[in-house]
Amino acid sequence: MAIKFERVSYQYQSIDKRGYLAIEDVTLSIAGEGEFITLIGETGSGKSTLVQHMNALLQPTEGRMNLFGIKIDKDTKRQKKVKLNPIRKQVGLVFQFPEYQLFEETVQKDIIFGPRNFGVSEAEAIKRAKEVIKVVGLDESYLKRSPFNLSGGEKKRVSIAGILAMEPDILILDEPTSGLDPMGRNALLKVFNDIHEKLNKTVLIITHDMNTVYEYAKRVLVMREGVLVYDGDPLQLFSRRNIENWNLETPEILKLQKALQSKFNIEIDNYPRSKKALFEAVKEGVKQ
Amino acid sequence: MKNIVIGRYVPGKGFLYTLDPRTKIIALLLLMAGTFIIDELIHMVVAIAMIGIILLIGKISIRRVYLGLRPLLFLLIFTFAFQILFNTQGELLYEMPLYYSPLTIGLVALVVVTWMLTKKYIRFKLIYFLIMVALSLFIFSTLNEPFVFGQGAFTVYEDALQMALFIMLRLIIIVTLSTILTITTKPTDLNLGLESVLKPLKIVRVNTEEIAMIISIALRYIPTLLDEANKIMLAQASRGVDFQEGKLKEKVMQIVSLLVPMFIISFKRSDELANAMEARSFVPGQPRTRLHQLVWKTLDTLVIIFAIGFLFGSIYIRVMV
Ligand SMILES: Nc1ncnc2c1ncn2[C@@H]1O[C@H](COP(=O)(O)OP(=O)(O)OP(=O)(O)O)[C@@H](O)[C@H]1O
Ligand SMILES: [Mg+2]
Repeated sequence: MAIKFERVSYQYQSIDKRGYLAIEDVTLSIAGEGEFITLIGETGSGKSTLVQHMNALLQPTEGRMNLFGIKIDKDTKRQKKVKLNPIRKQVGLVFQFPEYQLFEETVQKDIIFGPRNFGVSEAEAIKRAKEVIKVVGLDESYLKRSPFNLSGGEKKRVSIAGILAMEPDILILDEPTSGLDPMGRNALLKVFNDIHEKLNKTVLIITHDMNTVYEYAKRVLVMREGVLVYDGDPLQLFSRRNIENWNLETPEILKLQKALQSKFNIEIDNYPRSKKALFEAVKEGVKQ
Repeated sequence: MKNIVIGRYVPGKGFLYTLDPRTKIIALLLLMAGTFIIDELIHMVVAIAMIGIILLIGKISIRRVYLGLRPLLFLLIFTFAFQILFNTQGELLYEMPLYYSPLTIGLVALVVVTWMLTKKYIRFKLIYFLIMVALSLFIFSTLNEPFVFGQGAFTVYEDALQMALFIMLRLIIIVTLSTILTITTKPTDLNLGLESVLKPLKIVRVNTEEIAMIISIALRYIPTLLDEANKIMLAQASRGVDFQEGKLKEKVMQIVSLLVPMFIISFKRSDELANAMEARSFVPGQPRTRLHQLVWKTLDTLVIIFAIGFLFGSIYIRVMV
């Protein structure tokens, strides 16, 4: 397992003596390849805090982690001999708010910033920049623009490109599709799915969109008030009756399936994953 | 970086929170003036003790004030050392011969190297540093070996010691007082208070409202900008900037790459803030009414009397005693 958390808690320090316990007692492990995970949960449930541990930006205040063989706990920060930088090459994290990630004069400089830091030659980095900018749905003319004059959605795409160019083993995206138009959102999700399927990489996406969870993810993590309350199959999650208690919604396809089932009074086979599968299931149901 | 508390309001209870901001600002100025007038060490110590009592009654933890002082520790130590080393007036209090021989210089070099190599593993760096300095002085002063290079002396003069302690205590008092003010006063209250304290300046056509607004916005945004800097550092670290490591040149590059987005973000912030204020019909210079009126209470009068008493007391002591 590439990422391993053992009873990890994290407390934000503030001047107020009581720190804020943002995640509590989280135990999980994530493979270095072949996983497609979504992380969901209410606003403020600690999702962003959790993923910032996965590339050692934050270190647990309680508990232990093991990231690509490097052991990290609350004393790690003081021991300078533990090198955290290599972890960040392997685990690429796209931040929730692109403003903090973009700081160079031009988009191109910003995209090559990561690869250059990890020792990729300038020519190679620029080559990658030209590729990834297209992957995220922008054209090459954007490379010369200033990242600060872009629209919110364009910024988001550029910030994703900056991480893709690092070619990490594990790709973590904190709400990558928020603020994007529906077409753009679906196109990007397909990109992440391709990265997962064709390159067999592990992708973890934080999202508030249950359809994404249901259609793409093989595994879903649910955070609630800092606690990891569910880790497993999305199908099972949505077949439980009490997901409303976690303030989660039912995906559109399942709503449609239920609606069809009651309207036409037919038996539709359990949990279709996509529109196509639903269509097939309806056909089956009608036949019977 | 996270623990810088200058300008941050910390909610709490205690009499300092219920005081009128005007009272706090005026009392702060009076007390500061008082500490500049005092010229006896004993009285300074009394002043410090008084502030300690204020903290105690106001239920403000010493730790918070210490956090406010911490960024200044370096400055404090520097001024202290500077005074001790270069001020040679007054009575000679203490003299310590120093022997600069190959042996002692070698040993001290060893101490310095040890310090550089081990400092990152030590938690209390400052204490460790002071111990090392003391150790070096000890080596220089005790080992008068034959292979002599030369001899000097470490001297402490009365005035130097007094000035050093003085400057230090004054700085501590000033910073503590202002930390108390910002910890216990909401930015909006601070703004109101400043505005009405500055009102007399209106006679000479100074735009006091704007000044008060500028000051309070600046104070308000220090912690926000620090948070922002922290987030940018995280974002850069996640793209391979190694803030742990790096030679001087790399460190400078890192700071530059931090400053650029900081500036851009602050300009954007101020733009947004201006828009937000305009969207709520803020017109500079227009007379405004307030939702919360400041109310002067008996406690405020008492505090002001106390502060005036302190100031006059220190003038009296300075002139008469
Ligand atoms: N720098 C910080 N200092 C103190 N508390 C923080 C800090 N960052 C986050 N928190 C708190 O920690 C909790 C978890 O925050 P986090 O950003 O991880 O939530 P999230 O699940 O990502 O929410 P969202 O869906 O809105 O992005 C929140 O209650 C937040 O107020
Ligand atoms: Mg978040």
